[in-house]
Amino acid sequence: MNFSEFQNQARLYVIGALEPEELEEFENARTKFGKKGEDFITKCYALHEAFALSLRPAKASSSIKDRLMAMVKAKKEA
Amino acid sequence: MGQSKLIASTRHKPEKRVRLAKSRPRAVTVAPQLEPGAPSDLDLMQGIQAGDADALSQLYDRYNGILKALILRVIHNEAEADDLLQEIFMEIWNQAKNFSSQKGKPLGWMVTLARRRAIDGLRKKQAYARAEERLQNETEQQPDAWVNNATEEEILLSDTRSLIRKVIAGLPPPQQQAIDLAFFKGMSQREIAAKTNTPLGTVKTRLELGLKKIYDGLKELRDEL
Repeated sequence: MNFSEFQNQARLYVIGALEPEELEEFENARTKFGKKGEDFITKCYALHEAFALSLRPAKASSSIKDRLMAMVKAKKEA
Repeated sequence: MGQSKLIASTRHKPEKRVRLAKSRPRAVTVAPQLEPGAPSDLDLMQGIQAGDADALSQLYDRYNGILKALILRVIHNEAEADDLLQEIFMEIWNQAKNFSSQKGKPLGWMVTLARRRAIDGLRKKQAYARAEERLQNETEQQPDAWVNNATEEEILLSDTRSLIRKVIAGLPPPQQQAIDLAFFKGMSQREIAAKTNTPLGTVKTRLELGLKKIYDGLKELRDEL
């Protein structure tokens, strides 16, 4: 697998779309490309952020934050 | 507002979308825009790592809408999405020590975590059958549902969102659909092939081409995202 092919696979990898048989080959290439490969995978995770930002924000129930902060407080006090 | 209503309300205004798509050459800014002096996402994440509950409170205020939208996109149930949102922010609190700024931005980390939890939740709660039925209806409308679900005001709110939507809108509908099913539904290539009655090789090509176009199209945002 050359680096261009690795880049294609990396973009599929970060969204969990590699099939099992592709995953093994990808992991081998990941080892082969080392830091260069890891740096590219890290960049690919920006796709996650982009997809989330493409959505219209939704309003959460007002009680959720109260419950969350109560849980955090209880955990800190435990 | 229901999704179908949103689609219907935007379909009759194509000239407005075209005008908006052309009005972008301004500097790109991160969404949401922060007040002057407000702590950065990284500041807040470091606060959470230090056990500061107020930092979590601020991060929640900043991003609950984005994460709720992501969760809803996966599980399509308001009550379950709210419960999951609470669980995800609790996990952010518990797992903050695992966040490393060298591996990306806080929002990216939170989205990755939220997406995984939402897809897990979808499967664990065995809501798949119900979601499948909804998905069946959505699949036919997916390109419009993804790209055109924003009001003009919302698009103008954020240059970043506007650019991202423009990039996605530029993809052929089959590529949009394949990416949507993979990212928001957690489907494998084989599952997408079966769902859309498309050869596996075609699904792979659509995913590769679509993701590359989005990735390349977002280069302008590379330092922001």
